[in-house]
Amino acid sequence: MTGKAQYFIQGIGMISPQKTFDNQMFLDEITTYDQNVLTAVVPDFKAYINPIQLRRLSRMLRIGLASATICLRDAGIEHPDGIITATGYGFLDETEKFLREMLEMKEKQLTPTHFMQGTYNALAGLEAVMIKCMGYNNTYVSKGFAFENALQDAMLHLEEHSAAHYLVGSYDEAAAVQFIASIRENHFKAEPIVNLNLFNTATKGTIQGEGAAFFDLTGTRSENTWCELRDVAMVYRPETKDALAASLSDFLKTNNTSLEEVDVWLNGITGDAVRDVLLKALEHSDLKSVPQARYKHLCGDYCTATSFALWLGASMLKKQSIPEVVKGPAFETPKEIKTVLSVSHYMNRNYTFMLMQRV
Amino acid sequence: MNQTIEELTQELRQELIKQLNLEDMIPADFDENTPLFGEGLGLDSIDSLELVVLLDRNYGIKLKDPKEGRQVFHSIRTMAEYIQKNRAQV
Amino acid sequence: MSQRVFITGFGIITSIGKNTTENLASLLHRRCGFGELNVLDTIHSRTLPACEIKLFNQELCELAGVPHGKGYTRTSLLGLIALKEAIQSASLSPADVREAGLLSGTTTGGIREFERHFYELMDPQQKGDFAQFADTANPGEHGERMADAVGIKKYIATLSTACSSSANSIMQGAQLIKHGKLDRAICGGTEALSRFTINGFNSLMIVDPNHCRPFDNTRKGLNLGEGAAFLVLESERAVIEKRKTPLAELRGYGNANDAFHQTASSPEGTGAYNAMNLALTMANLAPNQIDYINAHGTATENNDLSEGFGIQTLFGGAVPLFSSTKPYTGHTLAAAGSIEAVYCLLGLQHRTVWPNINFHEQMPELSVSPVRELKQEMDLKNVLSNSFGFGGNTSSILIGLA
Repeated sequence: MTGKAQYFIQGIGMISPQKTFDNQMFLDEITTYDQNVLTAVVPDFKAYINPIQLRRLSRMLRIGLASATICLRDAGIEHPDGIITATGYGFLDETEKFLREMLEMKEKQLTPTHFMQGTYNALAGLEAVMIKCMGYNNTYVSKGFAFENALQDAMLHLEEHSAAHYLVGSYDEAAAVQFIASIRENHFKAEPIVNLNLFNTATKGTIQGEGAAFFDLTGTRSENTWCELRDVAMVYRPETKDALAASLSDFLKTNNTSLEEVDVWLNGITGDAVRDVLLKALEHSDLKSVPQARYKHLCGDYCTATSFALWLGASMLKKQSIPEVVKGPAFETPKEIKTVLSVSHYMNRNYTFMLMQRV
Repeated sequence: MNQTIEELTQELRQELIKQLNLEDMIPADFDENTPLFGEGLGLDSIDSLELVVLLDRNYGIKLKDPKEGRQVFHSIRTMAEYIQKNRAQV
Repeated sequence: MSQRVFITGFGIITSIGKNTTENLASLLHRRCGFGELNVLDTIHSRTLPACEIKLFNQELCELAGVPHGKGYTRTSLLGLIALKEAIQSASLSPADVREAGLLSGTTTGGIREFERHFYELMDPQQKGDFAQFADTANPGEHGERMADAVGIKKYIATLSTACSSSANSIMQGAQLIKHGKLDRAICGGTEALSRFTINGFNSLMIVDPNHCRPFDNTRKGLNLGEGAAFLVLESERAVIEKRKTPLAELRGYGNANDAFHQTASSPEGTGAYNAMNLALTMANLAPNQIDYINAHGTATENNDLSEGFGIQTLFGGAVPLFSSTKPYTGHTLAAAGSIEAVYCLLGLQHRTVWPNINFHEQMPELSVSPVRELKQEMDLKNVLSNSFGFGGNTSSILIGLA
């Protein structure tokens, strides 16, 4: 977005395979995994959702709603103007339950709860009911673009009404069904690895992750602001490294920035020797002089993993620190962190850029 | 199968708690006459549908009209009485 | 200065026609798609009739111009057929298509294929043709399939807000054009019947085993349907540059949430009211300037009551002509918004109001009832189309003659 509008992140709720739900901490405790599946480190849900609602909620719905509540409390707002969510595979565990029941019971005597909770907009709908938000409500399911579609949707609304607040969230599960179904595509590594070694492996596939993240996006600054979100962009199936580099260059130029001004870039490589090729080529050429941080060894790979990148970038800008565990090789710490760029991909198809600025 | 109303209400209480995930939120005074919907336990329309399936799966009773459910599912007691009257004979 | 948004073409496939011409003929002759299922394999084929497209996937591949056996799900195929018709209808060149965005709504995606081959897909040791459907348990896959098939790369989004999905696709496409991000967006949705949805809706006890009766006092629920439709939206700048005569203008739209319950609409129809009101406000039109409403009208007890109240509250004593076209096509879930937008466009073009088939008995709670007969030679300028979904999503779009 390059009009006069600006976009700020005023609150965040991040629940991931690391202990990120506490906004006071910043990757102080690292969780390791050795079976290629990373699952969320969750808070006590009772602190965020009342027990009457809690009883029927699936695990991922609890995680999503808790993350939204953390975000709203952090932002200091109770009534956002809209709720926009994003997911790649949705509530696949619930869908699996309904599907298995349907097949086993031969389509007879089925209960509705798993069907209802498997709908992609269930989180956006339940959050709306919970906080009585009758405003704009939408859900994107465009695989590796879903989260960026959602951010852009909010940004367009903020161009029209800068004082508004939009709760933009994402969720994806480390679902067994997705894991098994993707074995044929070599999406995940065949050999079990320790997540922290992800970038030292030279094999096909990555590791499966999950998470839910909510951001309060608004057009005005406040003392709660984490950072400014300058812009997002999506590039679909770039054919060569040069094509990707050209898109990145256009993105930065449109935002009156250049690579020289970027203090840290968040590299969304996944540890997949085949699918990372384009991004690694960019890493070793156009981006080689920019200090690099990586994160998918901490959260795993999933369609909306760039939400983890946004949390990471916003945290770096707000706290002015960079945790050791994300630093890339030969990392040179910048004196001040002013501009953070995220460049990521999902399955070598959905490439995304995000530009964040210190306030 | 000849169950007494008391045995049936006991069985239903357990089934309900299990099927509707009520373990953590049963009020101390929850008994067979506590209203299940509205005041009382506060169940909703989706729970009502779950109970329709429970009636079918466990007792062979098919409730065609969800509105009929409101009276049947008023309390555990009314459910037990309805089941005793209408259950499929094995 | 925000760009005006024009509609320059559309494409459609439903159980009452595999293209625009066939759909129009069926609408005029009151031909409905309701009947027993013989393409989808389900135990409910006779007991829960629906509005099924009587074409097997191989035939759909031929219509869509893609090879069979390459993993195209039925949802993708229906979408592709409608998408290609839309592109042709708007006379878009390959260069125009490359500069367009694609926004598609669905609730099922490839679940029909995934459920069919579930056990095999869950066994990585097994080999066979079914493996072409390995990645169909997600809705975004169909959007990328369609984009790849027609050469769209500039912007791709897939939306899923239950039964308002394609209405929201249209709205977001319009947003992108208004804000100058795109000059052209092809927006709509697609949905194939599946055992998953038939059984899911049946478990909610809102399916009528007989032909549905929207707004009728004796209504018992919805019929499911399948289909797809896409609209080509272009900015004022693009229309002028290409010297096109647009078919209509997308004058307004509204998206609100009922925030009442996950599966039920509020009794007062607050969400419905808000969505329609937002559309009117954006279009800068008063309620009495609306000539027709294509209602969501699923024939569930809850929706028709809620929507009826919403309409009455907004329009007061002057409720315009309204009807639900779901007795024709069934409830096509995510595709309903765009399919019904196409029916609104056909109505505007042919000066016709489509009847609410199967209506006999007035609902005592409402003071209005829908249009029963086909009304032709009407003066229609501005029409509203409503789409409401689970999760409280209420959407309304306002289309006017250009």
